[in-house]
Amino acid sequence: MGGEFRYQIGQNAYIKFVLHALKHKTSAVNGVLLGRLSGADTNPVVEITDSVPLFHSQIGLLPPLEIALIQIEEYYGAQGLNIVGYYHANERFDDFELGNVAKNVGDHIYRYFPQAAVLLLDNKKLGALPNGKDRSPVIQVILIWDRTPKTMFSYTLPFLHAKATKLYTREMSKSWKVVGSDGSSQLTIKEPSANIVLLDYISSEKWQDIIDFDDHLDDISKDWLNPELFK
Amino acid sequence: MVSKTEEAQVNRLENQVDNGGGGAWEYLCLVRTLKLRRSDKVLKHGLSILNDPKKRSSLGPDEWTLYEQVAIAAMDCQCLDVAKDCIKVLQKRFPDSKRVGKLEAMLLEAKGSWVEAEKAYTSLLEDNPLDQVIHKRRSAMAKAQGNTSGAIEWLNKYLEIFMADHDAWRELAEIYVSLQMYKQAAFCYEELILSQPTTPLYHLAYADVLYTLGGLENLQTAKKYYASTIDLTGGKNTRALLGICLCTFSIGELTKGRNKEGKESSDLQCLAAAALEKDYKQRAPTKLALLNSTLKSLKLSS
Repeated sequence: MGGEFRYQIGQNAYIKFVLHALKHKTSAVNGVLLGRLSGADTNPVVEITDSVPLFHSQIGLLPPLEIALIQIEEYYGAQGLNIVGYYHANERFDDFELGNVAKNVGDHIYRYFPQAAVLLLDNKKLGALPNGKDRSPVIQVILIWDRTPKTMFSYTLPFLHAKATKLYTREMSKSWKVVGSDGSSQLTIKEPSANIVLLDYISSEKWQDIIDFDDHLDDISKDWLNPELFK
Repeated sequence: MVSKTEEAQVNRLENQVDNGGGGAWEYLCLVRTLKLRRSDKVLKHGLSILNDPKKRSSLGPDEWTLYEQVAIAAMDCQCLDVAKDCIKVLQKRFPDSKRVGKLEAMLLEAKGSWVEAEKAYTSLLEDNPLDQVIHKRRSAMAKAQGNTSGAIEWLNKYLEIFMADHDAWRELAEIYVSLQMYKQAAFCYEELILSQPTTPLYHLAYADVLYTLGGLENLQTAKKYYASTIDLTGGKNTRALLGICLCTFSIGELTKGRNKEGKESSDLQCLAAAALEKDYKQRAPTKLALLNSTLKSLKLSS
């Protein structure tokens, strides 16, 4: 179940997420996580190798999300990577809840990748980053808790992949549970010095360079793959 | 709401000032007129003027407007000491001013002293019940405390009085979308389209909300509004063009087996696809292949 897997996030994926949140300090942001499941049955690890920043405005709307998911799956599928999770940063500093929109997207990804994780930015930890020597990621990991939905009702959505029917659990608030915050090793960053690199980027205001899917849709010459970001 | 040219102008000025090329005052004025939220820059460049006595005196009476602008920016950046100092200066110059009183209340809000801030706003409203800014602060405070339903309530009350405030309608619509209350969001956009029918942003947002709501009728209406967005933007809006493709596909899915809409709809989709391909070829050639496969997966409906 949810507690069996470990999650390892690569530095680039991690930094993109945080920079995205820092670029849009006054709104919620979200994105998808790409990677693969590796390790034998004895030691399964979900490797998060990349992330794609999605939106910073009107996150609850479907059309841009559908387009983004089609393109992301196409591009990364060709490299043998799947969408393995979703990240979200809330609008308010002290909001540690996962909102309904985030849960819905998480549910959708879970249907295609049962080990999907939702990563929620921990604003307090991010704020404290310059002070400490913390090497753990500034993220709360939220995993699907209850795999078998207890009660279901159907809700019609012309969601491309779901082809007109989507099932929700009635007790949505119980289906995603926070795991691995504060010291647990559920989520680790692959490169141990990632937070130092992150702090460096923060002080050089690197977040200005990050492009998300919203930016791309507003100006298609902007590349949501961010190929030049870490060069 | 800003046009592309206005945004380009502000960004150009911002770059110039950031790199030491001067023009800080023009930048600050432009940000103020366009009502942009660039608090970290405003704070930095505003303070550089205010802390320099020569620059400050050259502003003349505009000095006080700058103090006000920097105070608000400081509160947004949680630099409450700077904000307090600016407000003190203004208090000395304009004792018993309601405008300064507003800033004091905002400072309480920034500190998180919600109860005191609420009291301050209420008393300010007694003297000036038609102050739009203060009314909106109440909704902002509710939102800041995580009380989204309270924020909605305050905004609705506000809009009953000030129904021509487009920014408020937009804010309300966005709050509804974030709570997945799409029907209510649609209502807000309908109001906006009624009052400003030539603003493409509202048509586009309305179409997006209708598509998200789903159902055949909503999809068909969404398609119409994507089309009107394309009309109003001279075919340049990528989101609307993609919206047409999504709508046509989804409508096709829902009407499989029934009588098709006829050639008219697939013509529109073809035109939209062609326009997208042309644009991507020119401005985003690396993404052209991805676009084409996206369009292919959307055309595979019939």
